[in-house]
Amino acid sequence: MATLNKQARKNVWAFLALGTFVGLLLLPLFLSLTAGASGEAPAPAASTAPPTAKPADAKPVEKSRDVWYKTEGPVVGAPAPKTTDGPKDYPRYNFESRVILWVALQQHLYYGSFVLAVPIFCMVVEYLGIITKDKALARKYDQLAYDFVKISLTAYSLTALLGGIVIFTFLTLYPTFFTYLSSIFRPVMATYALLFIAESGTLYIYYYGWDKMREGFLKWIHVSMSVVLNVIGTVLMMLANSWIAFMQSPAGVDADGRYLGNIWHVIHTTLWNPINVHRLLGNMAFGGGVVAAYAAYRFLTSKSDEERAHYDWMGYVAMFIGVCFLIPLPFAGYWLMREVYAYRQQMGITLMGGLLAWLFIIQAVMIGALFLTTNYYLWQGMERMRGAERYQKYIKYMVFVLITCFIVWLTPHTMVMTPAELKAMGGQQHPVLGNYGVMSAKNGAINTIITTTVLSFIMYQRGNKMPTVKWAPLGNAFLFGLFTMAYVNIIWLAIYGYYIPANVRVGLSVPQVATTLSCLFIGVLLNSVMLKGAKDLGPTVWGQISVRSQYALIMLATSFTWMMGLMGYIRSSVRLFWHVNEIMRDNSPWAFTHTIGFGANMISFNVLFFWMTILFVFWLGSLGVKKVPVTAPAGQKIPLPAGSH
Amino acid sequence: MAEQVGQISTGKKIAFAVGSLILAAIYFTFLDWFAMNIQGLDYFYMFRK
Repeated sequence: MATLNKQARKNVWAFLALGTFVGLLLLPLFLSLTAGASGEAPAPAASTAPPTAKPADAKPVEKSRDVWYKTEGPVVGAPAPKTTDGPKDYPRYNFESRVILWVALQQHLYYGSFVLAVPIFCMVVEYLGIITKDKALARKYDQLAYDFVKISLTAYSLTALLGGIVIFTFLTLYPTFFTYLSSIFRPVMATYALLFIAESGTLYIYYYGWDKMREGFLKWIHVSMSVVLNVIGTVLMMLANSWIAFMQSPAGVDADGRYLGNIWHVIHTTLWNPINVHRLLGNMAFGGGVVAAYAAYRFLTSKSDEERAHYDWMGYVAMFIGVCFLIPLPFAGYWLMREVYAYRQQMGITLMGGLLAWLFIIQAVMIGALFLTTNYYLWQGMERMRGAERYQKYIKYMVFVLITCFIVWLTPHTMVMTPAELKAMGGQQHPVLGNYGVMSAKNGAINTIITTTVLSFIMYQRGNKMPTVKWAPLGNAFLFGLFTMAYVNIIWLAIYGYYIPANVRVGLSVPQVATTLSCLFIGVLLNSVMLKGAKDLGPTVWGQISVRSQYALIMLATSFTWMMGLMGYIRSSVRLFWHVNEIMRDNSPWAFTHTIGFGANMISFNVLFFWMTILFVFWLGSLGVKKVPVTAPAGQKIPLPAGSH
Repeated sequence: MAEQVGQISTGKKIAFAVGSLILAAIYFTFLDWFAMNIQGLDYFYMFRK
C-alpha cells in the first residue's frame, strides 16, 4: 500500500512537472498572440506620424475589410508591394532563383519533418518501455527510443542549418516578398525563434539526461520532457504552416494586402488546420519510413543473427507506427482538397482537373505503391511466425483486390491526346475506362485498398496465435460479417455515386471513410481482445525474414520522400503567378508552371540529395556506437508492442 | 479466421455468419444514413426522387 502511495505521489509530481513545463514554454506563444490579436503591436502606419503631433491633428484611423473574414479592422500595415522584374525585387545569380529556393525549402522540410516525427516515436516507445511489465522488453524499448533520438539529434542540427540557408536564400533572391511577409508575421516569427530555442534546450536536456533520468520518478520527468518537446515541435510546425497557408489562402489583410492588426486571422486562414493535420500525419508516416529504412539498411549490413534480429524488430516497430499514420492520411488529404474547393473552386479545378491534374495521377500511383508495399511487407513478415502458413492461401485474393483497386485508383479522368486519337476514342473520355476516372470510383478503390490493408494487419496479428476465448467462433463470425459488409458497403456507395447529383455525391465520401475506419477500430480492437491469452503456435523468429521485405521498407521510405516532394510542389504551384494568392503578384521571370517532366526531375533530385545526406547522418550516428544490446538470443521470441501479435 | 469455428457445428457456423452479416448490414446502413445526415444530405436521395 505504501509502495502504491509512493508510486501515486511520483505520478502526481510527474504530471505537475509536465504541466509546469508546458505552461512555461508556451507562455511566449500566448503572450505574443494576445498582443498581436489585440492590435497592440507597433503599427507601421502609426509610427510614421510625427511624434509632436497633437491628438486633435491625428489622422482618423483608416479601416478596411478582411479579404477572408470580411470583418473590419484598422489598417496597420503597408500594402503588398508591386514588384517588377529587376535586381531590386528579384536579384539573381544567373540561375533560376525559384529552383534554388525549391531545393533549400524542400531539404529543410524533409529534415524538419524527420526531426518532428522521430521525437514523437521516441515518446511513444519510451512510454511503452515504462508501462511494460517485462523488464527485458522494457530495456529494449528504452534502447530503441534512445536510438531514435540519437538519429534525430544530428538531423536536428542540419535542420537548423537548412533553415538558415532558406532565410538567406529568401533574403538574397526574393527580398521584397520576404520583407512583406515578415512585416505581417513579425510576432509569429519572434515566437517561432523563442520556441526553437526552447525546443533545442529541451532536446539536448532530453538526450543528454537519458542515463541520469533512467529510474523511478526521474524517468517520468524524462518522458514528460518528450511530451513537452513534441508539443513545442508541433506548435513550431503549425506556425511555419501558417506562412504557407497565408500565401495560398490569405486572411487578416485587406484586398491591397494591408495588415489589419489581427494576427490570429493571419495565422488562422481557411487552409491552416487542414494543412496542419495533413502535415502532422504525413510527417509521422515519413519519419516512420525513414527510421524503418535505417533499420533495413542496418539489417542488410548486419554481420550477426543478433543484429539482424534487433534491426528486423526495429524496422517492424517503425513501419507499424508509420503505417498507423499512413492510413488516415488520404482522409486528411481529402479534407484539405475539400477546403481548397470551398475556398476557391478554380483552385481546386486547377489542382485536380486542370493544369496539375496529371501530378495527382502520379500521386495516386505513389499512394497505391505505398499500400501495396505495406501489404507485401506484412505478408513477408508472416514468414517469421509458425502457424501463419494457414493464411497464405488468402493472399492471392487480396493481391487481386489490391491490384484491381490500384488500377481504378490511377485511371485518369481525361487523357492528353492528338485530334486523331480523340476522334478514334469518340471523346475525351474512354467509353468504358472513362467511368473509372471519376471520384466515385476512386473513393471506392482507395477505401477498399485501406480496408484490405487492415485485413492484412489482422491476419498478421493472428499469425502465430490461436484464440482460446469461449466466444471465439462468434468473434470470428463477427469479423467475417464486418469485413464482408464493409466491402459491400464501400462498393455500393461507389456505384450509388453515379446515380445522384454531384452535391449529394460529394457527401458519400464520409460514410465510405466511416466504413473503413469502422473496420480499422472495431476489427483491430475485437481481434486484439480475442487474442488475449491466445495459444502460441510458435515463436516469432525475429531476423528470419526475406531480404525482399527489407527492400520493401526502403521502397516505402523512398515513396514517402518522393510523394512529399510531389505534394509540396503541387500545393505550391497552385498559386500559379501569385506570391500571395490574389494579393501579391509574382513578377519574376519564373512565375510559370513547369512541365511535369521538369517537376519530376526536380523532385527526384531533392529525394536523392536528401537520401545521400541522411545516409551521412546515419553514418555519423553509427560512429562510436556500442554493439547492439540484444537481450534475447537470435531465434527466440521478442515480445511485441501492446496490441500487436 | 476459421480455427475455432471448426469446434462448433456447421449449422451454428452458418447461423453465426448470417447473423453477423445482417448485423453488419444494419450497422452500415445506419452509418451511411447518419454520416450523410450530419452533412445535411439525404442518403435516400435516389429512392425519394
